Amino acid sequence: MQNEGSRRGGSALSYLIALLTIFALNFILPRMMPGDPLQAIYGDEALVAMTPQMEAHLIELFALDKSWSEQMVAYVLALLQGNLGFSYYYKDEVSSVIMGALPWTLLLVGLSLLVATAMGVILGIESGYRRGERIDRGLLAGLMLLGGLPDFFLGIVLLLIFGVSLNIFPLSGAITPYSGLEGFPLVVDIARHLALPLTALVLVDLGGIFLLTRNTVVTILKEGFMLTARAKGCSELCLRYSHAGRNALLPVTTATGLRIPQLITGALFIEIIFSYPGLGLMLRTALDARDYPLIQGILLLATVTVLTANLFVDRIYQRLDPRVRYAH
Amino acid sequence: MHIDLRHEIRHDKMALLGILMLALILFMAVFAPLLTPYSPSEYTGRIFSPPSLDHLLGTDSVGQDIWTRLLYGARTSLLVAASVALLASSLSVFIGASSALVGGLYERFWMRVVDVMISLPTIIVMILIAAYFRPSLPLLILLISAFSWPGGARIVRSQVLTLKERMHIYAARTFGADQMHILKNHIVPDISPIIASMMIQDARRAVFMEAGLAFLGVSDPLIISWGKMMHQALAFTYLDVWKWWLLPTGILLSLTLVGLSFLGVCIEAAMDPRLCRHEHEHGQEHEHEHEHWNDYEGGLDHEIETEQPDNGDVGFLEAGEC
Repeated sequence: MQNEGSRRGGSALSYLIALLTIFALNFILPRMMPGDPLQAIYGDEALVAMTPQMEAHLIELFALDKSWSEQMVAYVLALLQGNLGFSYYYKDEVSSVIMGALPWTLLLVGLSLLVATAMGVILGIESGYRRGERIDRGLLAGLMLLGGLPDFFLGIVLLLIFGVSLNIFPLSGAITPYSGLEGFPLVVDIARHLALPLTALVLVDLGGIFLLTRNTVVTILKEGFMLTARAKGCSELCLRYSHAGRNALLPVTTATGLRIPQLITGALFIEIIFSYPGLGLMLRTALDARDYPLIQGILLLATVTVLTANLFVDRIYQRLDPRVRYAH
Repeated sequence: MHIDLRHEIRHDKMALLGILMLALILFMAVFAPLLTPYSPSEYTGRIFSPPSLDHLLGTDSVGQDIWTRLLYGARTSLLVAASVALLASSLSVFIGASSALVGGLYERFWMRVVDVMISLPTIIVMILIAAYFRPSLPLLILLISAFSWPGGARIVRSQVLTLKERMHIYAARTFGADQMHILKNHIVPDISPIIASMMIQDARRAVFMEAGLAFLGVSDPLIISWGKMMHQALAFTYLDVWKWWLLPTGILLSLTLVGLSFLGVCIEAAMDPRLCRHEHEHGQEHEHEHEHWNDYEGGLDHEIETEQPDNGDVGFLEAGEC
């Protein structure tokens, strides 16, 4: 048990170091750039629009006229207060700009996480159970091909087919602007805009979870307890889901944590393609405008989310599998 | 780990298909100057001209020949893939193996570094760095490599930890072999299938990252890249140009990535006897399964005792046809 405790502490320490590394990168990168640090932190375009009072205020805020160590303290203090800086492009606090876009990204990522996991697990169980049959081989080849495609190309293909050529779904945005819709029509409108980005993200994500579930089920089928369950007279459905499927859930849980970073980066690309007004599209705008505080803010949020998700899954995993809990 | 990769690949349709795709891209990259009369940075003066005999895939929004840029883009992708695969896997092998062999504080230090780097979302960190530096091609290769080695290092370390307890390594040590010699002559040949699979994964990630960063518009504007072509083309989906600009670029990028995935899946399946691909072709698969497991384990014991891994290898391949 003591061993386990130190291992847990070890992994938490790794996440802490990872987080500090990101803070350090965010702090050091702009200061490594040639020229005026204020210019590097805020970008060239920002300085043009800046008044002398604002400049003085910012220099004081970042302690830019002081030593590096004092700058570091000022930076950490600002972060702790949730102050991510000021986006000159949107003319607002970075934190509130991000909050405006965050719900759309959460909707997209959350829904595709749910849909892809459910679909991947069910297809994986069915396919693994019918290993070697035509449906299994077809699913395997098809999903592996999809998973091999770069996520932004898959999005582009969907956009070109359903948006541009067939004109079934809207090309961009998350709601029809100025439509004044309310209630149920609004939900339908949001769903129509969400359909293509969601499909793209799910298709990209599905392959990995499907393959993992299928391969786990294939190995579980050979276990003794499957034979016992069959001998007891369990129905096929019960065999498939209560016995094989339940045991396949463990690796799926771990993989879910590992998929979150992919989903988040995938969502960044997919949002850009469909001009979906979430953090991805905002990142693209910020990158084009070189709005550095906003770039840092978005990427910091993404990193913290990924780290938290991984830490969480680490913990969940130990609770789910008694073997992990008692083995150490 | 004794697997004849050439045998595996030759008998796997998917791997052959993958190699075919990569060969096509390689052909385009190598013979680029022969396949087009234009230079990739040349402006023809006509924008958005549709495909014709002069311009096989037409011209883009600034009047550059799309087919030419596709060919030279293949060079960038393959160069990034090959360099990162070499650099990152060398780092993985060196750090992973040396950690396992040296042990102690050195090992703990590197494994901590690996833990930290694995928990970081690589692409996001790369976007952050690229946003500031707009990296040139060599810098981009170094950056991607620097973020690609940790996963491989962890795998190599765990493999070497079991390998170093084998008799033949002890034997080599009693003959006075130093760590470098053991690493070079005993460990690297033994884990070569793992290294091959690592290199393919590194290459795949590198192609994706280069294209992804260019797609976001944060790489050096001088690089001719498929990702950047897609970035530019995406702005013009309302015109018909996507048919010969956006689509072919995406298809070539996908061919490269899918080709690498197919090859990688084949090697990984070959290393994992549980996923033996041909077993459903046998009538009594469970019996075969047992036979092949026993043979595999028997082969390993045999190998440790007599140091003739080839015997174990033959038995393993015959029994499972894996």
